[in-house]
Amino acid sequence: MSELLEVEDLTVTFRTTRGPVDVVKGVSFTVAGDETVGIVGESGSGKSMTSLAIMGLLPKGARTAGSIRLNGAELLGRPDRELRRLRGDQLSMIFQDPLSSLNPYYTVGLQIEEMYRAHRGGTRKAARQVAIAALGQVGLPEPERRVDHYPHQFSGGQRQRVMIAMALVCEPALLIADEPTTALDVTVQAQILRLLADLRRQSGTGMVFITHDLAVISSIATRVLVMRRGEQVEYGTAEQVFAEPRHDYTRMLLESIPRIDDEVEEMTA
Amino acid sequence: MTLLRAENLTKRFVSRGPLGARAEFTAVDRVSFDVRLGETLAVVGESGSGKSTTARMIAKLMDPTEGRLEFEGEDVTTAKGAALARFRSGVQVVFQDPFSSLNPRHTVERILMAPLLYQGIAPKGGRRAHAKELMERVGLNPDHSLRYPAQFSGGQAQRIGIARALAVNPKLVICDEAVSALDVSVQAQVIELLRRLQHESGFSYVFIAHDLAVVRQIAQRVAVMSKGRIVELGPTGQVFGDPQEEYTRTLLAAIPRINPEWDRRRRENS
Amino acid sequence: MARYVAGRLAGVVLILFLVCLFTFIIFFTLSPDPAVMICGKTCTPERIDQIRDVLGLNQPLVTQFLGFLTGIFAGRDYGSGANLIHCSAPCLGYSFQTNQSVWDMVVERLPVSATVAIGAAVLWLLVGILAGLLSAVKEGTWWDRTAMGLALGGSSVPNYVLALALQYVLVVQLQVLPFPQAVAFGDDPVLWFQSYLMPWIVLATGYACLYARLTRANVIDTLAENFMRTARSKGLSPALTMRRHALRPALTPIATIFGMDFAALLGGALITETVFGLNGVGKMAADSIAKNDQPVIMAVTLLAAFFVVVGNVVVDLVYTRLDPRVRITTP
Repeated sequence: MSELLEVEDLTVTFRTTRGPVDVVKGVSFTVAGDETVGIVGESGSGKSMTSLAIMGLLPKGARTAGSIRLNGAELLGRPDRELRRLRGDQLSMIFQDPLSSLNPYYTVGLQIEEMYRAHRGGTRKAARQVAIAALGQVGLPEPERRVDHYPHQFSGGQRQRVMIAMALVCEPALLIADEPTTALDVTVQAQILRLLADLRRQSGTGMVFITHDLAVISSIATRVLVMRRGEQVEYGTAEQVFAEPRHDYTRMLLESIPRIDDEVEEMTA
Repeated sequence: MTLLRAENLTKRFVSRGPLGARAEFTAVDRVSFDVRLGETLAVVGESGSGKSTTARMIAKLMDPTEGRLEFEGEDVTTAKGAALARFRSGVQVVFQDPFSSLNPRHTVERILMAPLLYQGIAPKGGRRAHAKELMERVGLNPDHSLRYPAQFSGGQAQRIGIARALAVNPKLVICDEAVSALDVSVQAQVIELLRRLQHESGFSYVFIAHDLAVVRQIAQRVAVMSKGRIVELGPTGQVFGDPQEEYTRTLLAAIPRINPEWDRRRRENS
Repeated sequence: MARYVAGRLAGVVLILFLVCLFTFIIFFTLSPDPAVMICGKTCTPERIDQIRDVLGLNQPLVTQFLGFLTGIFAGRDYGSGANLIHCSAPCLGYSFQTNQSVWDMVVERLPVSATVAIGAAVLWLLVGILAGLLSAVKEGTWWDRTAMGLALGGSSVPNYVLALALQYVLVVQLQVLPFPQAVAFGDDPVLWFQSYLMPWIVLATGYACLYARLTRANVIDTLAENFMRTARSKGLSPALTMRRHALRPALTPIATIFGMDFAALLGGALITETVFGLNGVGKMAADSIAKNDQPVIMAVTLLAAFFVVVGNVVVDLVYTRLDPRVRITTP
């Protein structure tokens, strides 16, 4: 398996009034060209900062150390002009809240078109056809009509489909999904997870899937990285992490998850 | 014994669009259920199911458009004044976001003493001591009674919210997505706390949640809501183990599960 | 949409009617007898009666009010017999001071006020929005702090202080500008521009400071939106990210505030016009109040109310065009 993404000893530091704070401390993992790696952790674990570091979208004033290589080429320290060419084209990202992640002032069509044209050029007309095709691919009915709709005219699940269509329109090598189903209802979550898995398989895109939900990770990831307070607690295949966790924290997390199928001890009513 | 009875509770909202268009929307449609003394009834559903509106109506934070609400055999649908005050001392709410539902400028002590002041209750040993006692009951350090909510973590702040609800010794506590915003490890602890408190004091919970797995840990009975109606109501084990309605089955099937084979191996190893 | 517009227009008519009614009650009942005022120093009781008769002041208040309303829409007659004067619609009566038709006075002065308002608006939009934008993009820098400090100070300087200071410096001391004169654009465009420049600057200063701070706050808020992160993650150029994704959401609320501010200004900039001796609606208002010229006071009040109320409706209609979330409510 050739490695698409190699993150090595990644450290992200913020300067605060109380001195520098490391929000990510020496995280290392790899993503092969055709797999999903899950990053799991509770709030404040540094999982989102890790993803923003890969995208080169960390807030101003954040400093990075270590190495992030995409197809062998170092990303850290590259000028923004060069990273911009990769963002959206080679590296794509979807976010937790699809409503606020889409600009309410423009049609979804325009928001997909502008991304396609930024990397592939061409006329608006051609880009519009690409956008319609992309919307169709993520299972939105009537894409020819929906392409001219605004984000608020879609349901939560449909909006996330729009985000996915947009993220995949340039056929990126790597898709980063940051809590993409957390804001969605459980039935919609199931549909989106299936869609992501299907599209990833069809297109051969590598995926980094970030979530706080271990059950979601278990259904989608081949490898799992567990993070806590910026540190890498555990990293291994999904099977190893779930069946033979090596770290107490992972074990504690796994024991904390309420399970729907368990018999629950009788309670006195 | 029935503590609270909701009969055909209905809530319709009339909205005026920005362009003057009038639209009517039925958020809750003829919902009926009983809450028995000492039990936990969960109300589950997805967004837009009407579960939160139902919670607000039975907490009397919102008046129903139609229907009837009884508490301890007394009709409280239109209760006002002394009757409403009596209802408030019997029914308390724990909200989803502790930080926005606790006054950030008040100390924990003041937050916990306020319900007693409103209700005119003077506990033995004084309100201050009572506040510290409450903190202890919910697993907080009573020495921190002069701190402000912002000085606590999310899980601790939710414990303050629970202590505040318990201050007047209610018979019913409505938990409106009370553990949804918490990290799983903290969530497990707060659920355990809620169970322990009920075991100690014998009050009832109405537990509003979207997470069915959480509900499974705490409720004896569960009502599944969809589009403003209760589609299925029954003992938790029965509803989850042998759902009668298509919607309940879809909902249960959609819940992400950890590979059971991996889970079994992990348990054997530990 | 048509129903909405019709409803709003009905509201406009109702509000203007109420404004008419209240200003009428206030100015025609609570102020001194206009007949005495018009009559002046060499006055006889007969003369007062005559004036009362001509102006209809001895009729019941309701009749007088209806007469006023009729005058606006259909014109009206004053006096009778040989003294009959016809005032054609739109009739706002005659000035007690100059006997000029109030409507003619308004028509004559409105262009001056509009010129002041439009010029100032162009100036404050340019300066205010640009300064605010720069401050937002360079948040926390030396430029930002200086600009915002100036904006805070600038918005607290009263217009008449600024006007007098400008006149003193530019006209008296440096003599780079002539003293403002009432000159038509066609007669001497340069002098016209020079005459209006100071009023524009004075009027624009306060607004520019306010708009700079508003723009800065809005742009900073918008830059922190999740959709800005999405735009960056798409690899769009910083220029496109800023122009398309940040500016429209940030400036839309400002467009609505601008509509209201501008409408209010069309009703006359009282202080600025007075200080610079510009014969606009504002100065007319100041003069009429000073001399208790009731028909003129009524007219300027109505005019200001008209612009504000209509401006409000226009702003709401424009907003539905600017924000798709308001325009399209069906999912």
